[in-house]
Amino acid sequence: MSEAGISRRALLGGGESLERLLTREHRLEDAYRAALERDAIDAALGETLLAHEREHVRGVEAALTALGRPRPRASVAPPDLGLALAGRDTFARFAIALERETAAAYAATLATLRAPKLLQPLGSIMTASAQHEVALREALGVDLLASSTARGVSTE
Amino acid sequence: MPIRLTRRGALGGAAALALASCGSGDPPPAGRPQAGSGAGLLNSIVALEHAGVAAWAAIAGVLDGEDRAYARAIRAREQAHVERVSALVRALGGTPPAGRPQSEYERMFPRMSDSADALHFARDLEARLVRAYLDALSSLPDTEQRRTAAEIAAEEAEDLAVVHVLAGTAAAPEAFVTGTS
Repeated sequence: MSEAGISRRALLGGGESLERLLTREHRLEDAYRAALERDAIDAALGETLLAHEREHVRGVEAALTALGRPRPRASVAPPDLGLALAGRDTFARFAIALERETAAAYAATLATLRAPKLLQPLGSIMTASAQHEVALREALGVDLLASSTARGVSTE
Repeated sequence: MPIRLTRRGALGGAAALALASCGSGDPPPAGRPQAGSGAGLLNSIVALEHAGVAAWAAIAGVLDGEDRAYARAIRAREQAHVERVSALVRALGGTPPAGRPQSEYERMFPRMSDSADALHFARDLEARLVRAYLDALSSLPDTEQRRTAAEIAAEEAEDLAVVHVLAGTAAAPEAFVTGTS
């Protein structure tokens, strides 16, 4: 295959990865919006995280545009969101898992994406997801670091 | 209008300079990985992480109670990063740089007289580490190298968020973490 053919295939694969990331960001956005409506998250924290997710959605949409891909419009609510909205602790644990999965999906995309100009902004979003986890752990009142023994508390 | 240099500002600047110089005097890698393999960049990250381990030891010495426990936990994470990135260098046939004695690093660190100083230094350190890994993404040629860099960048961002919490500020203050603060 020619170099141009390889590049087109790589960008096509990158676009599909970005579409999956956008779906994840929409799920997080939907989750925080629903949690705020149901009082399943502290209002200030929920508003901050929701605002961040909206910016992440815009960021991934811009990345898709840069790759010449149309923005997918459908948004699917995260599985089990209804159950997670039963209380603040339940929702925080649910959101931690969602943020962790999202950060892992970004890491996988960053490993393979052949679009150098997109790596830094996407990495910046990924690291924000990691920080969201810490914010949610703080709200939950557990060890701020999943692998830490600073408080001798297991969070998982 | 003259620029006012505050003590905290000077401390942050000193931290950045100290960290920038860490590793600059390290010898070149002893192995012979191929040019363009990423070994050079990975070695510079190992050198920075060694400095990070030493910095967190110094920071832990200033903090107390739960804050110190977190500092020690983060120091252990930085040590794990040293080992993880060093393994990538070895896989390329290279020899990662060894760390220097703690006292050598401490001579380059800013003076920390209280927990506020220590957390300020910690914030600058973690911001620099986040940025180093994100910057590396566009230069590392191998998928596994990039995945490792991305995963460690996320851990460094978590550590930065913990520093924010210990300093009494929001864990996730911005939608985009660039490590430029």
